[in-house]
Amino acid sequence: MKKSLHDSSRATEQLISRRKLFKAGLGSASLVGAAVIGASLDRSREAYAKEHHSPPGLGHHLMPAVVGEVDHARNGFNPTGILTDFDTGTVTKLPNGQALREYTIVAVNKVIEIVPGLEYMAWTYNGRIPGPTIRVRQGDRVRIKFFNVGDHEHSIHFHGIHPGSMDGVFDAASGVVQPGGDYTYEFEAEPYGVHLYHCHTTPLAKHISKGLYGAFIIDPKESRPRADREFVMVMSGYDVDFDGKNDFYVVNGIPFHYDHDKNPIRLKVGELVRIYLVNILEFDPINSFHLHANFFHYYPTGTGLKASEFTDTIALMQGQRGILEFRYKYPGRYMFHAHKTEFAELGWTGVFQVEA
Amino acid sequence: MTTTATPVPSKKPSLNKFVLFLMPVLLLAGVIALFVFTRGAGLNVTPAVPIESVQFERTILRPGQIELRLRNTSPQEIRIAQININEATWPYTISPGPRIPRLGTAVILLHYPWVQGEAYEITAFSSNSIPFNTSIPVANTTPSATAGTLWSFTLIGIYVGIIPVALGMFWLPALKSLGPRAMTFLMSATVGLLVYLGIDATTEALDVGGKLGGAFQGTGIVGIGIIGTFLLLDVVGRQQMSIGRSETEQRMTLAMMIALGIGLHNLGEGLAIGAAYAVGAATLGTFLVVGFIIQNITEGLGIIVPISKDKPAIGSLVLLGLMGGGPAIVGAWVGGLVYSQPLSVLFLAIGAGAVFQVAYEIGRQMIWKEMAKRQVPVTVFVGVLTGMLTLYVTGVAIK
Repeated sequence: MKKSLHDSSRATEQLISRRKLFKAGLGSASLVGAAVIGASLDRSREAYAKEHHSPPGLGHHLMPAVVGEVDHARNGFNPTGILTDFDTGTVTKLPNGQALREYTIVAVNKVIEIVPGLEYMAWTYNGRIPGPTIRVRQGDRVRIKFFNVGDHEHSIHFHGIHPGSMDGVFDAASGVVQPGGDYTYEFEAEPYGVHLYHCHTTPLAKHISKGLYGAFIIDPKESRPRADREFVMVMSGYDVDFDGKNDFYVVNGIPFHYDHDKNPIRLKVGELVRIYLVNILEFDPINSFHLHANFFHYYPTGTGLKASEFTDTIALMQGQRGILEFRYKYPGRYMFHAHKTEFAELGWTGVFQVEA
Repeated sequence: MTTTATPVPSKKPSLNKFVLFLMPVLLLAGVIALFVFTRGAGLNVTPAVPIESVQFERTILRPGQIELRLRNTSPQEIRIAQININEATWPYTISPGPRIPRLGTAVILLHYPWVQGEAYEITAFSSNSIPFNTSIPVANTTPSATAGTLWSFTLIGIYVGIIPVALGMFWLPALKSLGPRAMTFLMSATVGLLVYLGIDATTEALDVGGKLGGAFQGTGIVGIGIIGTFLLLDVVGRQQMSIGRSETEQRMTLAMMIALGIGLHNLGEGLAIGAAYAVGAATLGTFLVVGFIIQNITEGLGIIVPISKDKPAIGSLVLLGLMGGGPAIVGAWVGGLVYSQPLSVLFLAIGAGAVFQVAYEIGRQMIWKEMAKRQVPVTVFVGVLTGMLTLYVTGVAIK
């Protein structure tokens, strides 16, 4: 959330106020901005027409958007894939009959093209934002081998119930890993629900905002009713100029990725859709999710099997998460986005394309 | 070189001499090549983060469109990646392309439904995630050069330049009745006035100049503008004076010099007002225009003081008025239609140098002479201070 307008209009004002005449009662409305012109414009307009195609969206309707597509191959991940990329680990049976799920997670610095042309030095789990979606079943033994190849100390702090030595907060004994080091987190998966994990070393806001987070789903022993489509959505933001405020808002790593002119999520009328929604947005206190032309059943934290609410908008603070279930009744294009307009217009916007 | 033993420097250029002068230049080229090819010759010249800066030179608003003209003032090429406007990521086109060479310019076009009179904050992100901000304090369609707008800017120049200067010149008959001490007082007041304007313009020039991108060296522009104008006018003035004409003609020449100096100053003034008016911020209020007339009327007085005892032709007086006030019109055109900050800094500096030189000229030619004849230091002191205070007090109305 940026609030620099006043500062910069003050600067502008000073810039041009020869004799400060504008202070005369024009107040801050003063002047000229970087100022003015008009004469030789026609030439440049022609130049545009020649050199540029219209950006997407210009033909029909003006909407916030980015122009072009980021290089997913170079980024090493694609938000479309992340939607359904549930990592159930390498499964073996322990002598007591319990399932052991093993994972390897590496904290690594990575340059990510978050919007076309703009590169951000991120800190990632396994080179992607959000990190892998870890999906296990309640009561499973979870073993996560964590390597830190970054240049700052990192950890993985899981939300869930586990011993202090597996919490990833204080020191080497509780899973804080120096650059070049490693640690193995191991615990029983409980309670069932949709959770998250993130780095918990300090300065914490930096470690989270630079990309060290992911979804952690524990399925109940008795599975939830079968859904036709299951998606994970991790809401976050990017502070690319390091002023402690987000410049872009995002679900699953790349702003505007699921937008109507980019990669809308395709559904069929009547399909049961289940979304595991996690908010890890740094700096701003509240995030939200709004579904167009529909209502969803909401299961806060996913820790119950009965929906607590039937709504089309929910608010989540940092770390809050839940499960959404809905079906579309009519075909069409339907937006989903933060119902904080600023977040939506700075990237946290997507579209369900529903076909009959 | 000659073959004689005596080391008399040769008068005609020889190849040898040329080579000797060229030697350090050739060596320099070698060192630069070494530095470039060895990537710093041992120095680590790659900064951890690229240093980038951008100058927003103009913002042009048309219905449904915002056009930003920016210049890359960083040490290297930059690439513009994204534009956010009022907390929304917005599609844009950039011409000739997103990569802007050092000191190169680019034009960014946003199709954006802006609202008349509202404020906009725009951030351009470079590919290195470095934000550059500009703002539109009051959105208003930028005027283009039509007959109508040209006439508006002309009117502005007439109001703030020609009219006040001309009004001031109507003091001429009254001045004829004044004694030498009163004339010295007026002369000193004119000097005070000019010095005040000069300080004001210098401050303004340094202020705007300091905000230019580093490569423009705003302070350097100010220095060159002031010193260059001062010395140039000095040369012109001395040449005119040395042609050996009557004292009356010399006094007219001095009046011309004053008019020229004040005119150059009014050019900068018109520029600022034109720029303000063009963005709609300057609903140049009645109050403001009246303020300018009151302040600038003293400029007209200053112009005629040297010739107050003569009988100048009407034509000469009209010429003086146009020289002093007319440039405000040109300034308003330039400011309103093709405002650029580096140009503005230069104009302000030229105006400052001009008024300083004219103040010096009046002092040298009129006041010094008078002081040699009689004891008037207190008159001079009170006069100069009165001139400065007059502008200070009338300035309250327009600041």
